[in-house]
Amino acid sequence: MTAIGAAIATLTGIGAGIGIGLATGKAVDAVARQPEAANAIFRNLLIGAALSEATAIYGLLSSILILILGK
Amino acid sequence: MEIEITAKTVFTIPIFGGIPVTQTVVSMWIVMGILIAAAIIIRLTVKWEIVPHGLQNAVETLWEIIYNFIKENLGSKAGPFVPYFTTIALFLGVANMLGLLGFRPPTSDITLTATLAIMSMVIVIIGAIKYKGFKGWLHSFTEPIGVMLPFNIMDYFIRPLSLAARLFGNILASMVIMDLVFSFVPIGLPPILSLYFDLFDGIIQTVIFLFLSMIYLSEAIE
Repeated sequence: MTAIGAAIATLTGIGAGIGIGLATGKAVDAVARQPEAANAIFRNLLIGAALSEATAIYGLLSSILILILGK
Repeated sequence: MEIEITAKTVFTIPIFGGIPVTQTVVSMWIVMGILIAAAIIIRLTVKWEIVPHGLQNAVETLWEIIYNFIKENLGSKAGPFVPYFTTIALFLGVANMLGLLGFRPPTSDITLTATLAIMSMVIVIIGAIKYKGFKGWLHSFTEPIGVMLPFNIMDYFIRPLSLAARLFGNILASMVIMDLVFSFVPIGLPPILSLYFDLFDGIIQTVIFLFLSMIYLSEAIE
């Protein structure tokens, strides 16, 4: 049962994948439209990717906690 | 097959009732050794010339990359914070890539990443007090309006938590995946994946850690 719980906790990866995909797609759009603003866009992309990735990391952390504490 | 999430204890220092020394602490000593040895070798062998060649070229390029990255994000107020961020950049850069040498990366232990995150938040508070004064720092809790006070206080707990959890989670995840691949396909595939998981991911996580702490800092000192 603990293994199933841990597996469900890592499903947060779906949301992070969609979020990072959307952010990257929009960033590529923006760079194609305005190549001279690539530096500023890249910086914002990095923040966005890092923040949306955090949800996946929280899922990973809670699944690790479930595995360690739920034995 | 057993994959270790918490680090194994290597040996115990027999004072104060026994201090356990884990794998990650030993690999952190290796990182410190690499950095100190590199510093001594560079200091002793490089003769600083106007026209650089050899090792001096590499050192100056690395320094310029890190310095420009800090300067870009903090602007004219970067001065006092350059040594701290350079140290963090070098340490994390070497620590995340330690998986290449076959050791367990020290950042796959949450105690180290939590320490680094708390140090970054202390730097943020020091920077805010230095540039705004103590009253200005207290006043920044009620900006833009007084209702935001609990959220601004919560910021100081959530930011280090997410900084530490992000670095720890990424490095641990790449380590676990490398272990899995290594136990199923021992030859051929691991070196290629290692390029991505150890080299690329390590550098990206170093950049993101530096970048986020510099954003928090530049927000606090403006």
